[in-house]
Amino acid sequence: MNVQSMANEAQIRSPWRDAWTKLGKNKLAMFGLGFFVAMVVLCYTSPLFYPHSPTHQTLSFGATPPLTMGIELRYDGESEEPDEIITPKEFGDVYAAEAAQEIAKLGNGEILDIDGLDFRESSRTHILGTDSHGRDLLARIFQGGRISLGVGFIATFVSLLIGVFYGAISGYVGGKIDAFLMRVVDVLYALPFLIFVILLMVVFEGSDHQLLLIFLAIGAVEWLTMARIVRGQVVNLKNQDFVEAARATGVRTPTIILRHITPNILGPVIVYSTLLVPAVMLLESTLSFLGLGVQPPNASWGTLIKKGAEKMMVYPWLLVVPASFFSITLFSMNFLGDGLRDALDVKSSRD
Amino acid sequence: MLRFIFIRLGQAIPILLAIYTITFFMVRAAPGGPFSQERKVAPHIIEQQMEYYGFNDPIHVQFFRTLWQHITFDFPPLTSYPGLTSKDIIADTFPVSLQLGLLAMIVALSISLPIGILAAARKNTVLDYAPMSMAMVGICLPTFVIGPLLALLFGVWLGWLNISGWFSVYDRILPACTLGLFYAAYIARLTRGGMLETLNMDYIRSARAKGASERRVVLVHALRGGIMPVVSFFGPALAGLISGSFVVETIFQVPGLGRHFIQAALSRDHSLILSTVLFYAALIIVANMIVDIVQILLNPKLRYQ
Repeated sequence: MNVQSMANEAQIRSPWRDAWTKLGKNKLAMFGLGFFVAMVVLCYTSPLFYPHSPTHQTLSFGATPPLTMGIELRYDGESEEPDEIITPKEFGDVYAAEAAQEIAKLGNGEILDIDGLDFRESSRTHILGTDSHGRDLLARIFQGGRISLGVGFIATFVSLLIGVFYGAISGYVGGKIDAFLMRVVDVLYALPFLIFVILLMVVFEGSDHQLLLIFLAIGAVEWLTMARIVRGQVVNLKNQDFVEAARATGVRTPTIILRHITPNILGPVIVYSTLLVPAVMLLESTLSFLGLGVQPPNASWGTLIKKGAEKMMVYPWLLVVPASFFSITLFSMNFLGDGLRDALDVKSSRD
Repeated sequence: MLRFIFIRLGQAIPILLAIYTITFFMVRAAPGGPFSQERKVAPHIIEQQMEYYGFNDPIHVQFFRTLWQHITFDFPPLTSYPGLTSKDIIADTFPVSLQLGLLAMIVALSISLPIGILAAARKNTVLDYAPMSMAMVGICLPTFVIGPLLALLFGVWLGWLNISGWFSVYDRILPACTLGLFYAAYIARLTRGGMLETLNMDYIRSARAKGASERRVVLVHALRGGIMPVVSFFGPALAGLISGSFVVETIFQVPGLGRHFIQAALSRDHSLILSTVLFYAALIIVANMIVDIVQILLNPKLRYQ
């Protein structure tokens, strides 16, 4: 390879493309990205294709374990629509063990005839079981995911706005104002914010905008680290030669901020936002677990875990399944964030 | 050093005052008062209660009276526990929370420090990857997931421990582990990072060059610097420990201050809410000060700043 082609190659590779290549090599981060995107898409599009509604209650299907198959019962074998849909447990209560074994082996469309009653496999199958009201657990998890993820995104966005604005001003203005603003952040940092969020939730309990308030309360709490990061970056950047050069050639301040400062703080901001989403989801779920967050009929992953924890002695899957979804999602976000940090980190790049 | 402590204590006063003011008006703004109940209560009874607890006075009179009560530690009777004051409740329940927090910290440190140090000393080997992946898992499993799962495993399936209560020594195990495991994961990562940074420094090379054993290099020379991120983490950790104890006390029915705070917030016991918030805030301010002092003692460079 001659010098010319090396120079060409170096020209083509922009830092962003470079980071993307690096991220692609990190298997855990790619798994995180894949899982997270899949989770978001599934949660928000599930009403379009998933057959069960999260709010539809079938009391006879109350608290059935995962992989429960429904059994269609027709009294005469002729009718199109089944007269009843029963659970294997109900079937087993009436018929002997051999019949229960046979019904478990039924293929699609096959019919088992017992005393003129016609049994066949129903399309109504609860992959992850149902809760105590007979609501499909997976549908509930998708619904809860919409709220948990939604809170995560919106609250992160709120803290992103506050933090970037605050940090950028503090860093760019500098001097006494900077010292004061950062001292305020230091003080706020040390306070137990859950206490204030709990108070906020109590104050606005039962109002129509409670969900919105959760977004705002969490967003208003989580901006501190963002402000610190942005401020540190801005302080570093504003004294660098290329900014000086831009200023010397007469570029105006707004353009300097937009053209020269913003692209350079983007990396850390992206990394931190990625790590903030799981942190926010954790906070929201903690509140919901304490009974202070999302209120019924809405559900978040926190409320599902709370309900599951209350009934775990009898119905362990109601705890284990939502807890797994929640933890793996947090996992994937953290892996993605760590991977992005490695990929975008200025310190570890070639310079 | 004494001057430093005085300055920090002086800064604490306006902070506490601000917290008092915010909390005071926030609880007043909450819908429903301390005497609203599901059942209808005769108006003259409520009126009597309002008069007795001083809720009929103008708001500025209440504001300064309550402030004075907190300065002089002369607390009014509580609305949710008639006959008791916040002082009684805090003196009664805080030792429980404190015990839980200390046990959790012992669990966290005794797991995380050896793991973190070992991972840094054996960087990029199985001894590094395996425990650090576990730590990542630990961070993603929040307290309210670990708690019920541990209770399910050890309490229900194995039947070794009680799933709730705070009576025998064994009842301390599950809550302390639940609260401690999260911090163990976090501190292990911090320790590894701090140790790695220190092990790359020149003075470590000098120590190796002069023939110090590897054990001595890692445990004596590097540990002193490598432990710094963990020390500075203790300030925020205390705030987290308080929040965490809300959840753990709820899961395991531990009669600590956290549970009483949530109850106070739900039953609108203004006096108890105020006292608890101020108590927690003062605790955190003092803890942060101690952390700063320890950092200065460990790192002479900071002494002149």
